[in-house]
Amino acid sequence: MIRLRLGPVARRRLTAAALALTALVSVLAAQREVGVARDEAVYIHHGTRYARWWLDLVTFEDGTASAERITATFGGAAPTDGNREHPPLMKTLLGMSRVLFHEELGWTSELTASRLPTAAMNALTVALVFLFGAAVWGYGAGLIAALLVLLLPRAFFHAGLATFDAPVVTLWLATLYSYHRALASRRWCIALAVAFGLALATKHNALMLPGVILPHYAWLAWRRSRPDQRAPLGRRLFDFLRALGRVRPLALAALAAGPLVLVAIWPWLWFDTIDHLRDWIAFHMHHVHYNFEYLGENYNHPPFPWHVVFVTTLFTVPTATLAAALVGGVALAGRARRGAARDAARAPALLIALSAAVSMGVFLLPSTPIFGAEKHWAPAIPTFCLLAGVGVVAASERLLRNLVAWGWIPAGPARFARAGTIAAIGGLVATAALTETAAAQPHALTHYTALAGGAPGGADLGMNRQFWGIAARGVLPVVNQLAPAPGEPPVPVYTHDAQPAWGLYRRAGLLRPGLPDAGRETAGIARSQIALVIHEKHFNRHDYLIWNSYGTVQPYHVLTVDGVPIVSVYVRPELLERRAARQR
Amino acid sequence: MSEAAPAPSGATRVWPRRARRGLRVLQAAGPALLLVAVALWEIVAAARAPLRAPAEEDWRALSAALRERHRPGELIVFAPGWIDPVGRQHLGDLIPLEMAARMDAARFPVVWEVALGDAEAPERAGARLTWSAEHGPLVLRRFERDPARVVTDFVAAFSRARRGGAPGAARVSLEEVGFEPHRCVKVVPPPDRTVTITYPGVELGRELVGYVGLADVFTRRDVREPGRLTISIDGREVAAVTAGVDDGWVRFAVPTEPRAGAEVVFSATAVGPGARDRRICFAAEARR
Repeated sequence: MIRLRLGPVARRRLTAAALALTALVSVLAAQREVGVARDEAVYIHHGTRYARWWLDLVTFEDGTASAERITATFGGAAPTDGNREHPPLMKTLLGMSRVLFHEELGWTSELTASRLPTAAMNALTVALVFLFGAAVWGYGAGLIAALLVLLLPRAFFHAGLATFDAPVVTLWLATLYSYHRALASRRWCIALAVAFGLALATKHNALMLPGVILPHYAWLAWRRSRPDQRAPLGRRLFDFLRALGRVRPLALAALAAGPLVLVAIWPWLWFDTIDHLRDWIAFHMHHVHYNFEYLGENYNHPPFPWHVVFVTTLFTVPTATLAAALVGGVALAGRARRGAARDAARAPALLIALSAAVSMGVFLLPSTPIFGAEKHWAPAIPTFCLLAGVGVVAASERLLRNLVAWGWIPAGPARFARAGTIAAIGGLVATAALTETAAAQPHALTHYTALAGGAPGGADLGMNRQFWGIAARGVLPVVNQLAPAPGEPPVPVYTHDAQPAWGLYRRAGLLRPGLPDAGRETAGIARSQIALVIHEKHFNRHDYLIWNSYGTVQPYHVLTVDGVPIVSVYVRPELLERRAARQR
Repeated sequence: MSEAAPAPSGATRVWPRRARRGLRVLQAAGPALLLVAVALWEIVAAARAPLRAPAEEDWRALSAALRERHRPGELIVFAPGWIDPVGRQHLGDLIPLEMAARMDAARFPVVWEVALGDAEAPERAGARLTWSAEHGPLVLRRFERDPARVVTDFVAAFSRARRGGAPGAARVSLEEVGFEPHRCVKVVPPPDRTVTITYPGVELGRELVGYVGLADVFTRRDVREPGRLTISIDGREVAAVTAGVDDGWVRFAVPTEPRAGAEVVFSATAVGPGARDRRICFAAEARR
C-alpha cells in the first residue's frame, strides 16, 4: 500500500487549497439564487467598459491611453461619472471575467461570470485565514478559523455579489499577512506593497490600513528598545527611534510604495493625480447619509449611535463563533500576561486586534457618514474567526490537560483525544455557523442570528430589513405570471429599488418579455400596471404613493422570510380584471 | 458562636474538598462546556426561528373568521407593525384608503386586531376585548370602545377653506409622516414664512384634536428645520405645535365650547431661513 507522507508545509498548502476550493464552489452555487444589488448593476456596467479599455490597451489600439479616452471610460466632470468615486480593481476584474467566461467562452451566465472574481477573492480570504492561523496558533486553530470565516451568514452572501466588500476583506487581510511575514523575511515586503496597493485599488477602507500597521510597528520597536523606566525620557525616546530602524524599516517603505500600485492600475490617476485622488477621498468624507433602520429608529442624519457596530455584529455573526472568539481572546490575553504568547517577536495577536479595532473604530466616530450595514466593517471579522479558532483549541486543550492530570484519562492516548476533542468542539461551533449561514440564504440581509430571534426577531428589534433592492429577484416568478400574452400591449412595472437590475434580469432570462421598467417615483407609478415595494422603513412612502395611484392598499403578493415581509407586489385592479376576463 | 453544635468532623473535611474539586472541574471544563452549550443552543434555535412564522393556512383561516364577523367601518390593525404588508395582502380589500391613512383610531367603535403571538397594537388601548380566536401563531381579537363623535373633519372640509398668508402650495393628500400613512392637509410655506388655512362657519364640539408632522423622509433628511402649526379660534390662538424632523405625527388637543359658526385658522410656518420645501401636514377634528 502506498502511503502519502506530507510535510507540514505541504499539508498546510493542500488544506488551504481545499478550503479555498470549497469556498469558491459553495459561494458560486449559492449566488445563483441571489438577486442583483443596485450597486452591482452599476459596477458590472462600468467594469465591462474598464475591461474593454484594458484589452484595447494591450492590443495597442490607437488613442487608448489618451486623456480623452481615459476620461470617457474612467472619469468625467461629475463626481460619479465613470463610477470614478470607487477605485477600479474589482470592476476591471469582474469586467474581464464577464468578457472571458460569458461573452467569449460562454461557460457561465453574465451574472455568475461577473461575480466569479468576488467569490475567488473570498476563497482567498478563507485560505489566508487558515494559513495565518495555522502558522501562528497551529493547524487546528487555523482550520477552525477558516471554516468559521466561510460560515458567516452575511459575509457568505456578500462573497457572491459583484461588489467590493468581500474583496477588500481579502486584500486587507493579505496586506496584514504580508506585513507579518515581512517582519521575518525581506522578500515579503514586495508582497506587502502589492497587497496594500491592490487593497487601495479595491475600496477606500484600505486607507485605514496604515492605522493598523504603524501602531503595531511602533509597539514592536518600543518593546525592542527595552525601555528602562529609570532612564531619562530623552534616552528612552532615542532608544525607541533607533529600534524603529531595526524592526523592518523596509516594511514601512513597502507600505509607502503601495499607492504606486493604485496609480498604476487606475488610469484615471495617470493625469491630474492629486486632484483625482482628492476627489475620490472627498466623495467618501462627505458621503450622503443613507437611511438605515436600527433598533426601530430610521437614521439618516448624524450622529449614528456608537453601539451600532457592536450590536449589529452581535446579531449577524453566529453566536457560537463569538463565544469561541471570547474564549480565544481570554486565552491569548492570559498567554500574553504569562509571557507565553506565540510568535511574541511579531506580536500577531496584537496585529489582528488592531485590525478589528481600526476597521470597527471608525464607525464609533459621530462624524462618520451613515452607511449602516455590517459589510462596512467586514475587515474586522477575520479577527473574530481567528480568535474563535484559538478559543476552540484552548478550551479543548484545557479540558484534556486537566483530565490527564486527574488521571481520568491515561496520558498515552491524550494526543489522539486532543485531536478528537478539538474536532468535536470545533465541529459543533462550525455546525452552528453552518446552520445560521444555510438559514440566511438567499435573503441574508434580512437574516439575524438566533440570538436576535432570526429574521422575525430582527424585525421585532427594528433592525434594518435589507438594502439595494436585492430581494426583488424573489418576486420575478410572480411578475412573470402577469406578463402580457403575445399581441397584448406591454405591462410596465414600477421596479422601485430594483430598477438598475431590471436589464440584467431581462438579459438573464429571469423576466418574460413585455414587462418594461415604468420609470421612477410618481410618474413611474402612474405609468405602471404592476408595482414593487422593497420593504425598508424609509421606503414606506412607496407603498403610499402606490395606494394613491392604484386606489387599493392590498398587495397582490408579499415575499416573506420566515414571515417577515421583504417585497410587496401591487397590481392595478384593471389589469387583474382584464386577466380575469381573459381567463373566463 | 461557641454554643453551636460542631459539624461532624468528616463532613467538614470532605465537603470543601469536593467543592474544590468541583470548582476545579468547572474551571477546567467551563470554556469547553460553554462552547458546546452555545453551539447546541444555536443549532436548535436557528432551526426553530422560522417556526414562529404563520403558515398560509393560518392566514386563510383568520381571514375567513374575520370576514364572517367584520362590518364596514370597523378598523383592522396588525401587530407587530411589520406584519402589516402580509395582513393587507389577506385583508386589504376590507381596509379603505381613508381607514389606512387615518388621523387616529378614536372614531372607530370596533377595532379588529390581528396579532402575531403576544404583540399588541396601540390602537386597542382603552378598548374592551369582546371576542378572540387563535389561528396558529396568529390571534384575532375584537375590541369595542366608545368612539369619538366628529362634528367637523378639517381634512374633509378643506374644499371650503381659504388659503392666505405667504404664497405656497396647500392641498389634501396621502403622505408619509413619521413613516406612517396619513391623509392630511399638506402646506409648503416658503422659508421663514407662514401660510394660513382659514375655515369659516365651523361647528365645534367639546374638543379640537389634531396632529401635525413633516412629510417625506428625504426632505426631512436634507432640511433639518422644523415646521410650526398654530391654531386660532375666532382670532384667539389656542394652540401652537412645533414638529421637528424626528418628531413624527405630533398630537395636540384643545378644549372648545360646542357651537356653530366659528372661524378656525391653521397657520403653518416653515421655521427659519433654511426651511425650504418644508412639507407641513396636519389633520384635525372637532369632537363632540
